[in-house]
Amino acid sequence: MNVNENNSIAYTQGDGTQRDNTQNTSVYTSDNLVSTQQIQTQNSLLHSDENIAHTPVNLQKDFVQSDENIEEVLEKEPSENVQNPYAINTPLLQLNDLCKRYPGMGNYMSVFHLNLTILRGRIIGLLGPNGCGKTTLIKMINGLLAPTCGTVLINGMEPCPATKKVISYLPERTYLDNGMKVSQMVEYFSDFYEDFSTEKAYNMLGALGISSDARLKTLSKGTKEKVQLILVMSRQADLYILDEPIAGVDPAARDYILRTIITNYNPGSTIILSTHLISDIENVLDDVIFMKNGSLMLYTSVDSIRSQMGKSVDTYFREVYAC
Amino acid sequence: MLGKLLKYEWRGLRLPFLIMLVVLAGTTILTCGVIFTINPKFDETIVGYSVIALIFSILLYYFGIIGCSLGTSLIVVIRFYKTCYTDQGYLTHTLPVSAKQLLNMKIFAAIITNLLMILAIVTSIFVIMQVGLHHIFSFVPDYMEYTYDQFYREFIEIFFDAFRDFEDDFGISFGLYFAYLIVYSLISLIANIIIIFGCVSLGQLFTKHRIVGAIAAYFIVQFILQILGYFNAIPMYKRMLRGSYRDDITMFGVMSPTMNMTLLTVVIVAVIMYFINLHMMTKKLNLE
Repeated sequence: MNVNENNSIAYTQGDGTQRDNTQNTSVYTSDNLVSTQQIQTQNSLLHSDENIAHTPVNLQKDFVQSDENIEEVLEKEPSENVQNPYAINTPLLQLNDLCKRYPGMGNYMSVFHLNLTILRGRIIGLLGPNGCGKTTLIKMINGLLAPTCGTVLINGMEPCPATKKVISYLPERTYLDNGMKVSQMVEYFSDFYEDFSTEKAYNMLGALGISSDARLKTLSKGTKEKVQLILVMSRQADLYILDEPIAGVDPAARDYILRTIITNYNPGSTIILSTHLISDIENVLDDVIFMKNGSLMLYTSVDSIRSQMGKSVDTYFREVYAC
Repeated sequence: MLGKLLKYEWRGLRLPFLIMLVVLAGTTILTCGVIFTINPKFDETIVGYSVIALIFSILLYYFGIIGCSLGTSLIVVIRFYKTCYTDQGYLTHTLPVSAKQLLNMKIFAAIITNLLMILAIVTSIFVIMQVGLHHIFSFVPDYMEYTYDQFYREFIEIFFDAFRDFEDDFGISFGLYFAYLIVYSLISLIANIIIIFGCVSLGQLFTKHRIVGAIAAYFIVQFILQILGYFNAIPMYKRMLRGSYRDDITMFGVMSPTMNMTLLTVVIVAVIMYFINLHMMTKKLNLE
């Protein structure tokens, strides 16, 4: 990974080629950048059915990336779209008017009429404070929660076994069976996921000195998280969804995890990375999604924030979410 | 994919199931040990020792097999809960399989595990009977000229005589009745597993008290089944009353309508619970 003249980050992909953040900006416009004040105005809105009629939907449109711009890009022939060689005409992920209200939460919407289109070949940071709906959104994409309204489309399909084949998901908690050995978990992933590379998994385990004969219950929390990440990143998925992958680990492990993510993901695929630790990850991100109170506040490229606001994503985030 | 699901389901169940088998084997050996202490010589020092030892061995074995069969049901339920509704659920529900496939495989694995335990219990009963009878016959004095083989032959004769009389008393041949009971038990077993899994899923509606919710759901379903059971018993009582002044009504004729209706009720409740389960696993899934 290195910093180039434009202050954007170039890094090595899984196939060994260099990738530059500045090259993949064709799908974005900078029009969607808004002032902190505007965002805070929107944040003050509560997300309940009563408020739908008031303003948020129209107001939200100003903040999110314009659909027209995405369509313009999608209408282009793939050859014209040279800046993003992996972009194809079907959006990888589309969220249409997505809402989630949990039972017993009254009218409060954890995710509030969210519209979003995500293309291929991007590393996207899903950012926001605690309780802003990141995990709820991720669960809905993975089919772990049913939306209250709206749709989630992955490769044009609602969550189903076919979409689960193309999503590699790392939840915020340890989901491995503690009674199993590491090698058995590798076998498990290999059995269920056609795109799983056993060789890659064992190489990464070897590099970290994790014994494949070790039972998961004998491993520390951090090591378990590493094993989990290795399993998730050993797949050649279309969409990687990593929920807080670096939250519970020490700084050295964070570096390893980020390196693993960058060097092992399929270049034609997209990574959605949810975290609070923005400064640790912003150098690897192409785009960022800011969420607050279940709403989409901003979806733009990291370069846009840097060039137009003259701030790092971390600094901008702190301003936007200042208490 | 179904084979893979079954493979990992069995892999998760086999260790606790083996522990249950070890417990059963231990109970069987212990019971045999108590039976071996039955000796008329001891009766001279402790009055009625043989009778006490026999009763103790029967009680020990009874609670042993009840514990093993309940334990087996418990391990499949705990496995279902753990893999579907705790942290492991994040992995289970993101596998590239449908909720229906997942549920069917879990039910199938639970049925197989329970059947294996039933088989083990039947084997264990056979072992205890053989050991016990051989041991007791070892005390029969030679001058009585009554051996185990003689007893066995007489037992078989009595058994076949009972077969012949069975149809006259029950209104159905023993073979047919035995087959009926096997099918009845098998359907009840499957239905009960589906009902228990359904209750575990229903418990997930109580996000703060999921296990308590599951237990409460189970008791509510059982209460409903009990109420329906009273209605199902009405034909039996009617026929019993009729049978008191009519000779053409057989025992099976009195019991079978109630048994059939009870089975039908359990099956209907199980089908409802199956769809509730599927609904919970797709539309109402809410992992912590």
